[in-house]
Amino acid sequence: MSHPLEGRLAAYIAGKMPDAADVVVSNLEQISGGASRETYRFRLGWSEGGTARERKLILRRDPPASLIDTERRVEFEAYRAFRGSAVPVPEMLWLEEASYALDHPFFVAEEIAGFQASPQLLLSGAYDAVLPKVAQQKWAILGEIAKADPHALKLTDVMPAPALDACWKRELDHWEALIDRDQAEPLPVTRAAIRWLRANPPPPAQKLSVVHGDYRTGNYLFDEAGQIHGILDWEMCHLGDPLEDLGWSLQPIWGFGSGRAGGLCTQDEAVAAWEAASGLKADPAALHWWILFNCVKGQGIWVGSAAAFNSGGNRAPIMIYPAWWLINAQERAMLKVMGKS
Amino acid sequence: MNPPVPAVLAELAGLAIKNAMPGVPDAERASDLGLSAALLGVAAEIWDRQAHILVEENRAVRALLGETGQDADLRLSALKVENDRLRTALIEAHAAAETAGDAALQDAIWAELVAATDRRRLSSAPV
Repeated sequence: MSHPLEGRLAAYIAGKMPDAADVVVSNLEQISGGASRETYRFRLGWSEGGTARERKLILRRDPPASLIDTERRVEFEAYRAFRGSAVPVPEMLWLEEASYALDHPFFVAEEIAGFQASPQLLLSGAYDAVLPKVAQQKWAILGEIAKADPHALKLTDVMPAPALDACWKRELDHWEALIDRDQAEPLPVTRAAIRWLRANPPPPAQKLSVVHGDYRTGNYLFDEAGQIHGILDWEMCHLGDPLEDLGWSLQPIWGFGSGRAGGLCTQDEAVAAWEAASGLKADPAALHWWILFNCVKGQGIWVGSAAAFNSGGNRAPIMIYPAWWLINAQERAMLKVMGKS
Repeated sequence: MNPPVPAVLAELAGLAIKNAMPGVPDAERASDLGLSAALLGVAAEIWDRQAHILVEENRAVRALLGETGQDADLRLSALKVENDRLRTALIEAHAAAETAGDAALQDAIWAELVAATDRRRLSSAPV
């Protein structure tokens, strides 16, 4: 049985490929996960110059209500900016910001097929021998993102560029406002963490960097040899302090219960790989601020997912999962980072 | 728990009915059922303990705030309303203790916050 989106997507793509004939979309299926965009894989078939062709592609479509509200153009342009660099990303093909074609905005991209992203699989024990290799690459690639010049990548055309001494406040203001808006119950540890962050601000950013925004185990594609083939989920990408991404990657939630950085290595090993690749320094006190900040940011996302469910905007079970599993765990992470437990 | 357990169970019931019908793509059905199973497991875990947690927590926070009284209505919805009231007051008391430099009260509040997150911890929690 074909998916109802297949015909509509084929019609859209046919309009984008004037030299193609017999454009067909098949095998369209939704990929599990993805609480902020609906993600589908599909096969595109067409003929061109009498030759039949086929390509595996990805459709990322906005849902009715999202775990996080982001601009799909920002995500699209972030991928495009790093295409062909030391940061492996899929090729972006078409961005559609109107709703006429598939009811919601979307983009289509190359599928980097044949690799895994699941943290549960990576940390199951089967990959233990290659975890050091994964860790080295993971934080080296993040260092490359931190090192990149947002102006040269033309990302300053689509993303605001905060002053170096304003990066922390812009982010904290943003996420505190979302928690104010979305929380359904009091969060005493989160509120204490926010007070501490405001009373103890970090130094200005060393440079203006591209911030991936969700750089963690689960958002990169790996193979059995421990090679990373793609960095995914750039939907929260913005410009800011390079330590923000490092702090997100090191916040305790992303250890998946292992107690290790990203489930992969020690924090010192991760920081060393990042510093070597980026040429930047991770001042311990500043990094501590950014790790705690990212615990608050995480809480903003988890309470946002609950709010999307409670409002009726998105009743998918994926919206319940982060709220039930992570709101209390995130407060435990904050207590740990603050030295209270 | 937020979203509230009854709302989640009602949603999962509807999802089970939807997935019992023909024509649901295999990957979508697998994703729905896998997540539903995991969520039902959490609901089962908290079913027996939730009232106890809220009563214990309300008692501890009242003591910190210098309030008297106890929970007379033991329905979860009533306990949760009182818990929200008390934890909102606790946030204010914590901020005031920081401003006043009241180290003893701050320590007592932190101890309760650590205890509260331990009480609420799920067996499958990542932290």
